[in-house]
Amino acid sequence: MLFYTAMTAFSMIYIIPLAWMVMSSFKSQTEIFDSPFSLPSSIDFGVWSQAWNEGGLGSYVINSAIVTTISVTGILLFGAMAAFAFSRLRFRLRNFFLVPLALGLLLPVQSYFVAQSTILDKLALTDTRWTLIMPYIGLGLSLSVYLLKAYLDSLPKELFECARMDGCGDIRMFFAMVFPLLRPGLATVAIFSVLSTWNEFLLATLYIQSDEYKTVPVGLVAFTGRYSTNYPLLFAALSIVTIPVIAIYVIFHRQVIHGITEGTMR
Amino acid sequence: MRPSARWTPYLLIAPALLMFTFVVLVPVLGTFGLSTFSWSGTNTAKFIGIDNFTRAAKDDVYLQSYRNTFIYIGFTLVLEVGVGLVLAGLVSMKGKRTAWYRAAFFVPVMLPMVVIAVLWGFIYSNDAGLLNAILDKIGLGGLSHVWLGDPATALPAVSVVSGWVYAGFYMAIFYAGLQRIPASLLEAAALDGASEWKIFTRIKIPLLRNMVEVAVLLCVTGAFQSFDLFYVLTNGGPDHSTEIVTTYLVQVVFRDHEVGYGAAMSVVLAVVVVGIGLIYARLRRKDGADLEY
Repeated sequence: MLFYTAMTAFSMIYIIPLAWMVMSSFKSQTEIFDSPFSLPSSIDFGVWSQAWNEGGLGSYVINSAIVTTISVTGILLFGAMAAFAFSRLRFRLRNFFLVPLALGLLLPVQSYFVAQSTILDKLALTDTRWTLIMPYIGLGLSLSVYLLKAYLDSLPKELFECARMDGCGDIRMFFAMVFPLLRPGLATVAIFSVLSTWNEFLLATLYIQSDEYKTVPVGLVAFTGRYSTNYPLLFAALSIVTIPVIAIYVIFHRQVIHGITEGTMR
Repeated sequence: MRPSARWTPYLLIAPALLMFTFVVLVPVLGTFGLSTFSWSGTNTAKFIGIDNFTRAAKDDVYLQSYRNTFIYIGFTLVLEVGVGLVLAGLVSMKGKRTAWYRAAFFVPVMLPMVVIAVLWGFIYSNDAGLLNAILDKIGLGGLSHVWLGDPATALPAVSVVSGWVYAGFYMAIFYAGLQRIPASLLEAAALDGASEWKIFTRIKIPLLRNMVEVAVLLCVTGAFQSFDLFYVLTNGGPDHSTEIVTTYLVQVVFRDHEVGYGAAMSVVLAVVVVGIGLIYARLRRKDGADLEY
């Protein structure tokens, strides 16, 4: 009993801030200041739709969805292709190509974004969606190749040799057999990549200036600047971003925890 | 296995390799190159050798950013890895029945750091802040404070948020590790009369040693890379009291337009992070064998 009381008390440190955030979005400015702990007098989603439409949160979410979808598709497809070649095919210069990819696992993006931003700028790519999509794919690939290769390495080699005996070429083998086989590995990489792409802030804030391409994290900072004194609207924006994540998490929590821990621990 | 045609392996690795070369490899080399130049991004670059590095060694703000990062690492080792370990130990005592708690502790890990930073900005805020309101409510109004505005409390306050986010992450890692300890081992210890505390400190933690080491490495290298939380909450202020390596780097490159100088700082950061990783890998290899279980 003592155990559960203590754990519940501790979990309040997590629940109270989030509950306070959602409740405050339904309150008026004065209520937020004068009675921070009271329940809202009514639940009105008017402020939420104001944040979504006029506040521009809707367009940030769409931008994030586009950038994340294209980036993660690239990370999964290119990563799986390379993982298959590195894991199962013998070819010259194999290690010469594989070793640099390991560098991506080691080096933080902060150690090369200075030149990266210069290059993207000179190619007139900054302030387009590609300025985020390309770095995100590049950043995600190391982990994707590494994890998927490890997964393929663990499969029996007879599997691939049998397919070859049946006259299956590499390209067909990849699409017909390897890609479907990789499903569990791809799921792990996908969860990790979706979250890190969706949440990425550093590059997004440095490379995107115009509001029409801003993703959720950068957009939210711009939003906070625009409405710095409108507390209900700000809390509504935070709630809109937070609640879907929690909903997805409630449904997929096993896969999500596995994906994140696996992706970070490598 | 031999490829079905000579060119297929190269075709398969080409998209990944080209993309990686373009956005990682070339920029890595480019940053090394830029670090030896004085360049604003628009004027003509001038080669100055190692001057950027000697300048960094004398830059007070830069040195303070490293000091602050080390202090931050100290806080996060306790608030993230330490608290995570204790939480994992606690929830593993009751196992499956704690799913709800484990879920609650893990929620912040998935949220964009910006959302958390803005939310905690409100919690710490002076006028409508939740923290001061709670202190007031429980009769500790005298402790209420401008948490992020005072150089003495700003860095600890930011570190607490970091702990709030990542304690649940480390708990998840350690919990997964604890689940792998055979139940028979723990039952035997319990039969021999070992208390829960003894089981935790004498059996569980030693068996988790590998994971704790990886967690410490992650926490340390992660601290050198953290940016979002500091940028949104304080952006280095007040008076550089929360200036960390990355916030200063971004300021130098993108506000002061000192691209060459920033590149030199990036190179140092790369050397520090990779160096820590390599030292760690070596230490682990040395006493690796007896750690397997």
